[in-house]
Amino acid sequence: MDLQYSDADRAFRERARSWLATAVPREPRPAHGAAAAQFDRDWQRKQYEHGWAGVAWPKEFGGLGLTGLQQVIWYEELARARAPHYINTTYIALMHAGPTLIARGTEEQKAFHLPKILSGEALWCQGFSEPNAGSDLASLKTRGRVEGDAIFVNGSKMWTTDAKYADYQELLIRTDPASERHKGLTWLIGDMKAPGIDIKPIRTMLQDEHVNLVFYDEVRIPLADVVGEVNKGWSTALSTLSFERGLGFIGDQLDLYERVCRAIDLAGKVRLETGKLAIEDDGIAQKLASLKADALAIRSMTLAHITESDRTGDPGPKGSLMKLIVTATHKGLSETVGEMLGWDFLEFDGDRSTHPWTYDYLWSWVFTISGGTSEIQREITADRLLELPRAR
Amino acid sequence: MFLAPDGDEVAIASAAAEFLADAMPIDRLHGADGGDMGAPLRQSLGEMGWFALALPENQGGSGLSAVEHVLFFREVGRQCGPVDVLAQSLAAMVATDDTMRAAILSGEAGVALAVNDGAGLRLLGSPDATYALHVSREQARLLSITDIVAPARPALDPATSMRVAEGAAQAPVAETTGEHVWRMGELGAAAMLVGIAEAALDLIVDYAKVRETFGRKIGAYQAVRHPCADMALRAEAARCQLWYAAAAIKEERGDAAVHLDAAKHLANQAAIANADTNIQLHGGIGVTDEHHAHLMLKHALVLGKLFGSKRTLLGRLVNSKVED
Ligand SMILES: Cc1cc2nc3c(=O)[nH]c(=O)nc-3n(C[C@H](O)[C@H](O)[C@H](O)COP(=O)(O)OP(=O)(O)OC[C@H]3O[C@@H](n4cnc5c(N)ncnc54)[C@H](O)[C@@H]3O)c2cc1C
Repeated sequence: MDLQYSDADRAFRERARSWLATAVPREPRPAHGAAAAQFDRDWQRKQYEHGWAGVAWPKEFGGLGLTGLQQVIWYEELARARAPHYINTTYIALMHAGPTLIARGTEEQKAFHLPKILSGEALWCQGFSEPNAGSDLASLKTRGRVEGDAIFVNGSKMWTTDAKYADYQELLIRTDPASERHKGLTWLIGDMKAPGIDIKPIRTMLQDEHVNLVFYDEVRIPLADVVGEVNKGWSTALSTLSFERGLGFIGDQLDLYERVCRAIDLAGKVRLETGKLAIEDDGIAQKLASLKADALAIRSMTLAHITESDRTGDPGPKGSLMKLIVTATHKGLSETVGEMLGWDFLEFDGDRSTHPWTYDYLWSWVFTISGGTSEIQREITADRLLELPRAR
Repeated sequence: MFLAPDGDEVAIASAAAEFLADAMPIDRLHGADGGDMGAPLRQSLGEMGWFALALPENQGGSGLSAVEHVLFFREVGRQCGPVDVLAQSLAAMVATDDTMRAAILSGEAGVALAVNDGAGLRLLGSPDATYALHVSREQARLLSITDIVAPARPALDPATSMRVAEGAAQAPVAETTGEHVWRMGELGAAAMLVGIAEAALDLIVDYAKVRETFGRKIGAYQAVRHPCADMALRAEAARCQLWYAAAAIKEERGDAAVHLDAAKHLANQAAIANADTNIQLHGGIGVTDEHHAHLMLKHALVLGKLFGSKRTLLGRLVNSKVED
């Protein structure tokens, strides 16, 4: 057991830090809409052109082939350089569509899509969930009819984040009408410009319209765009979900400590209605200190998991624990800052840059619900890590 | 001894529920201008005498008590009713001249609530209000705000618009001393929060009975049913304590303030925790704008700061004593 970085790791950190110091965009990312998507593409393109795209991808597919520990270093340096948040419109493409294609795609699919993802030319969205299939994804009903060399898709997906700006989507549908649950599904590369797709934004309590309902009316998708096999899509979907649950939140994990420190600084400046500085209030000071311990533990957990999987090559079943502690700490921090900020905290116009703490507070529920709810993360932990008997 | 609505009290509560569900349904908050209490709503509430409930008859009121007051405001809370409904009722207790009081009771003149914000005042409620009511434990003051400059601030809560007043506060047009108005305000806010805590519980219980995952209703999973039971407990505790506090004030018991502080604290906690859990247990649909769930959370955050927030209430409670 040791905390030493290798020479290669230290050299990597130096290189990353010096590049980021000058490369990070100075202007803030627009909060919403097409301007935000364009900003993300431009930033991705810049990383690509300078050889920094695909930190988690193997070298043979154009990535950097970094170890898990080096990825940690990369995200730490991104945070230090105040780079644009990595969960943006490029996220699905880089963090799970690309890795899914690398693991399960055909040579043609990889050759066509991977470079476009790395360069920011293609944005992706995830069309898995439906109005009646969220936690229970396998109950999905969107149908696909195989006819000749194509599949014709009918139905609807819900919650598809950034569908409006995506070029492609990970589309999971039912191609065997007689099938139930995990059987008879197919994972497709959906072209978002295909005729028959209709996108309706869903407004959220954060006053944004990032998530969407997507309707499919006889949308034709060539059989060549099936990833994995027809009617065996569940197995491809499990790869996608494993990428999401693996290092999906790594940036937020590492960023939390910084954010707790920022909150502690703030507590030294704002006054409570009692007239005291927030930090002079025992309740607040203790909560912040406890959150700091959580943030340190989150970083330690990240390092423990990553260095372990660097050795074994297996990410293991602990991703759910990570999502639980990260989302709970994020929420606790937002609530504590809310107690400090008084009436200012109750002002909000939908913009993260002008109301960061209120935005993050509202985001807490998105965080504990999307990508598998906290209840489901506990179920997964009890099933897979603890191997407890199941009620379901 | 009977610690729940009884006889005429039940009738008043159901009349309020029926009236408000029609005149001020929570659905209004999904529209663009659903917040606050604009003139038409104010006048229809005034016409029905809802602002006069706990005002003595010799002042043009109904001469009812703190008990009817909480029964009404609990129903207001269930619909995420705006803060200015409370300000309007309290202002009628402050107005000293008959014409002014009549204009407030009828809803002809609107009243916003003014709260301390740093060194200045923040105004909550309709921008077309004529007056702002500022209440402390020592006194209640009615200010004329027709001439003040108060730019709007972006409000998190769609039910309550907010403005920050510029310049020094003006001389009040009416004022009273003593704790009565504050206590009625604290009771009213606690009642609204209890209404929210109950409404959030109702929403999730209904949903948990119909939403299915893995072939079962989600209400069958302990991960859902246990938090629902916790919500029921929080609502029950806050409601019973609210009844006790209201009755204690009605009967002018010496320890009424202790029970009231406990009631407000429990209501703050119940409303925010229940609104939170309600969102979580709805899954994705719970974070959408068209759902009521976020309205309850946002409104509870505002009400939680009025007439006693966590720190002041706990600071008072720790050394307070009940009488028997
Ligand atoms: C902002 C946002 C963005 C999203 N982006 C995407 C996206 O881009 N692509 C995509 O495909 N999906 C996306 N999702 C969908 C997300 O994955 C689902 O919302 C989530 O999995 C929950 O499903 P549900 O909303 O249907 O809730 P439900 O599954 O109906 O759950 C309702 C409640 O019941 C609980 N519950 C359900 N089953 C059980 C059980 N067996 N045991 C215990 N508790 C249970 C849940 O925890 C929850 O509290 C997004 C969601 C949100 C809110």
